[in-house]
Amino acid sequence: MASIILITLKGIFRDRVFQGIMVTALAFLLIPVIASLSMRQVTELSLTLSLSMISFILLLLSVFLGGTSLWKDIERRYTSSVLGLPLSRQRYLLGRFGGTALFVMIAAVVLGAAAFAVVLYSSAIYPPERPVIWSTMGLCILFDALKYILLIAVAFFFSTVSTSFFLPVFGTISIFLAGGVTQQVYEYLRSPASKSLSPVVKQIAAGLYYLLPNFGAFDFKVNAIYGLPLHVEGLLLTLAYFVVYVGILLSISAAIFIRREMR
Amino acid sequence: MRGTLSSALVCILLYGILIIPFTTYLRNKPFLEKLGYVPSVTALKSVAADHKEMVAASLVMKVLMYFGGLSEKSQESQVVIPPDYKAMSRLLHGAVKLDPYNMDAYYFAQAFLTWDVKQYKIANDLLIYGMKYRTWDWYLPFFAGFNSAFFLKEYEAAARYYQRAGELSGSDLSRLLAGRYMQESGQTELAINYLSVMMNGEKNPALKKNYQLRLTAFREARRIELARERYREVKGAMPATVEQLVSGGFLSPPPMDPYGGEFYLEADGKVSTTSKYAFAGVKNHKK
Amino acid sequence: MNAIQITGLYKQFSGKRMKKIDALKGLDLEIAPGEVFGFLGPNGAGKSTTIKLMMGLLRPTAGAAKIMGMDAGQTESRRSVGYLPENPAFYDYLGAEEYIAFVGSQFRMGKSLLARRSEEVLKRLELWDARKRPMRGYSKGMVQRVGLAQALVHDPDVYILDEPMSGLDPIGRALVKDIILDLKRRGKCVFFSTHITDDVEKVCDRVGVIVKGTLVALDRVENILRSGVEGYLIHLKMPETESFSFGGIELFRRTDSVSEYYVPCSAFNGFMGEVNRTGTDVLLVETKRRDLEDFFLALVKSAQGA
Repeated sequence: MASIILITLKGIFRDRVFQGIMVTALAFLLIPVIASLSMRQVTELSLTLSLSMISFILLLLSVFLGGTSLWKDIERRYTSSVLGLPLSRQRYLLGRFGGTALFVMIAAVVLGAAAFAVVLYSSAIYPPERPVIWSTMGLCILFDALKYILLIAVAFFFSTVSTSFFLPVFGTISIFLAGGVTQQVYEYLRSPASKSLSPVVKQIAAGLYYLLPNFGAFDFKVNAIYGLPLHVEGLLLTLAYFVVYVGILLSISAAIFIRREMR
Repeated sequence: MRGTLSSALVCILLYGILIIPFTTYLRNKPFLEKLGYVPSVTALKSVAADHKEMVAASLVMKVLMYFGGLSEKSQESQVVIPPDYKAMSRLLHGAVKLDPYNMDAYYFAQAFLTWDVKQYKIANDLLIYGMKYRTWDWYLPFFAGFNSAFFLKEYEAAARYYQRAGELSGSDLSRLLAGRYMQESGQTELAINYLSVMMNGEKNPALKKNYQLRLTAFREARRIELARERYREVKGAMPATVEQLVSGGFLSPPPMDPYGGEFYLEADGKVSTTSKYAFAGVKNHKK
Repeated sequence: MNAIQITGLYKQFSGKRMKKIDALKGLDLEIAPGEVFGFLGPNGAGKSTTIKLMMGLLRPTAGAAKIMGMDAGQTESRRSVGYLPENPAFYDYLGAEEYIAFVGSQFRMGKSLLARRSEEVLKRLELWDARKRPMRGYSKGMVQRVGLAQALVHDPDVYILDEPMSGLDPIGRALVKDIILDLKRRGKCVFFSTHITDDVEKVCDRVGVIVKGTLVALDRVENILRSGVEGYLIHLKMPETESFSFGGIELFRRTDSVSEYYVPCSAFNGFMGEVNRTGTDVLLVETKRRDLEDFFLALVKSAQGA
């Protein structure tokens, strides 16, 4: 499986995805300038912008790499040659997923380093009211990367179901948006304001809350930006949630993929 | 080859012709349009996904750019264009719903909601909302305290806020609790204190200028107050007009209201100005 | 144990508007180790379907395919197989050498063995100079040769090649034939599909013909060739200009002092008796037969007509 992960990584690098990220990352240079427009929170604004930019790049990566990885292999008939090797479909699927996830991790580390540099610079010029907590920032980026790895698993799940790339790409984007608000909807449902809703709608919404991935849980941007404390228990629970949810998605994907006919 | 080249040239030429009226049109677009209609915050929250802080920051930026551009314009041409405070307030409220920690939003809202729009209640509600999140920040209670004391005349609440601001900042804000500030007669000094704190902490040139202007106005008012006291000590009676102070040699040079108004003394001797410490155009936007 | 054992293999595809298409209707086939088997059939006859079922790329509707005794659905069944897909495509950002190394790693080949074998097959298939270049710059023939190289590198006992000659120029085709003959000499089992009879005639031990999902013929190549003999063209040295007939057979053609007679199988003995009696010199006896192509065409025509 290591070799299929390696092949996947090589493919992403040789498709010049990394160079693309580096070019996009040049925008980091603009962040201190934009952030200096803030009246009261220059460092906080540089953090906001850096973290948002990392999130955005990782989102694009996970949607497009995750959504097209399997589709491209099947479309270009790479699967008929690779699956003709003594390589089980599960291992192939996991290898492709692992390679893509690893790339997102690498991108997060590199972009994270750029963000550190930007924030360090901003905070040196305009010392913030509250010192930047670097470990929180690192954890925020790490959980951001985990969130997008979870999203890649969603994209892979759609790829095993569909033969085109529309469902993987657009389905993944929809799940991403929906998974970002489930927590809000859930909280609304539990508040007295939702009294007027019919119980059926409530039931469906609650069902979706448990079914859809909860991306909101991975968002620690506020903690990183304003130096709010993180709770270890919450982090561990989120980590466990990540492992279990990715496990479920990949298992179902593998089960579907094994049954798939490679015409 | 020649065909594509010439068509490219024609297009570039057309672009050159078009770009000037196009940019002029954009520049002169109604301000409300420029500030934009922000969709409901709930919708924005959903679409913002994990970029809520970023969207909030961009809303604040939008307001800030708009306001900065306006004040620049009014200084260039002397034509005072009333800013659309309602839209600004709406955007800032949206911003703190997305990111309740965004200090820029509170800070900026405090800056214009009070003096210019006179929506002290709204300003304080916003600050109280912010205090729930920015529990470490002494600015918010400091603002709220000032609003309560200076505008709302709720001295008890003001004392509470100042107390809290003092605790949080660890600096000696308790002097603001001194009795003399907590009454009508201490207002000018309170304002000068508040404005100096604000101005010193300000980097944004548009806002800094704003504070400076207001601070100048209040310093002038304070000068008149001091002259008035001296006049009373010497003459044993209150002066009726500012002119009396100037001609009597108590006030030199004569006071200047940077907002273009005239200082005058009210019946009880309180120093006021016809500009009400704001540019004339603002009058139309009073509640 | 047979190298390849196919029993009652049946495959149904669901086509458009819920229509069911029978791509393969109960195929039985046994290929022995060391045998070279040619799988002939027109386009769309079910050759590729059979091969994909053998490789576990498709799942049979009924029946089973076994390779070296292991069901094709098992990953391990492919461990002893070198597989060349039809119109192969490989990760085109890799060079041929990298891809071969990847394939070797999947077969758990040791590093030094892999390096040696990789060099061998790349040189054999004339890819050595291009081995570092990404495959997206390769010609169709080169990709086809990479396909063969990756099937050969781990030196398996069974080769399953889907249209190995397609996309190759005459030199390439000769090379492939050479390689297959070489494998045959080394006792390997080769199963390959084609629609070109000439390929089969030269290299195969046995041939199977599939038309519309059904196996219509299965025999040894020499049996087919033997059964196809129709007659002989006999060249006789006859300086005289007048024409003779031998055993009632008339002159077919005459060039200079050589007369040619076309003799059906049944008349051969009588004709030769006459020739011997007249003391005429026999210069050449040519066997006239239907070749595999005719055999194939006749089969396809009758099967499709049915």
